[in-house]
Amino acid sequence: MMKELFPRKQVIGFIFSLVLTAVALLVYFMDMSFAVGMTILLVTAFIQAGLQLILFMHAGESEDKTTIYTSIYYGMAIAIITVLGTLLTLVWTYQFQ
Amino acid sequence: MKIDHSLPLEYSTEQNRLKILGFWIFLGAEIMLFATLFASYFVLVNGTGNGPSGAEIFEITPVLAETILLLTSSFTIGLAIHAMRLGNKKAMLVFFGITLVLGLAFLGVEIYEFVHYVHVGAGLQTSAFTAILLTTLGTHGAHVTFGLFWGLFILLQVKKNGLTPETTNKSFIFSLYWHFLDVVWIFIFSFVYLKGMM
Repeated sequence: MMKELFPRKQVIGFIFSLVLTAVALLVYFMDMSFAVGMTILLVTAFIQAGLQLILFMHAGESEDKTTIYTSIYYGMAIAIITVLGTLLTLVWTYQFQ
Repeated sequence: MKIDHSLPLEYSTEQNRLKILGFWIFLGAEIMLFATLFASYFVLVNGTGNGPSGAEIFEITPVLAETILLLTSSFTIGLAIHAMRLGNKKAMLVFFGITLVLGLAFLGVEIYEFVHYVHVGAGLQTSAFTAILLTTLGTHGAHVTFGLFWGLFILLQVKKNGLTPETTNKSFIFSLYWHFLDVVWIFIFSFVYLKGMM
């Protein structure tokens, strides 16, 4: 009965998300360069996001799967263009001049 | 109302299916909203003026507590939806209730954090950095606050009306919202706090 309420997939997903949080914490507890730290954070954050989306939110389970993924990818594309575009024009150029 | 019994209750009518699809499209827009906040944050993060920097005011303990509370609540709302699909109303309500309690605890820690920031002289008007920091955190916190009330009302409806095509649909959509807030928090945890304390 109890076992039925805790599906293996979701329990493993939860443990994995805690592990990813612990890995991200390495940038705080260990001395490392900015580039290495940012790489770790980018990798752990995007894996976490994917985990939630696919495992917990069941993004691919209904017949609207394609529309749902299109909407999410579109949102993510605009998000990345907004953030990278802003960094490119307002932050990084500052260092090149 | 045509009910398709081959699908989980929350998908069982066409209207239900379209509400879930519509909510996903809303979440796509929410991603863009938070992207503009993150973009502004990255531009203004060094604009500390005479105020403190992130490294000077961030505390790892409350931040870690918030992260674990929200991650766990995202797990429990997932278990609530699983129990709901098994038709186990009692277990669903327990997991749903735990989710809201964890959300409330998260909000408590965040309020403590805000009070602490103002106390150490990092208010909304101190510098460009504190303004965008509190706006970004506050927008997420306002979403959590809204979610707590929304979730509470859905919980009461499930308690009163049982697992119907309407209540299961509302609960499922709430779970999408709650998981999404966890995703946003992961990015705040990584690129505001950890990056700031690196």
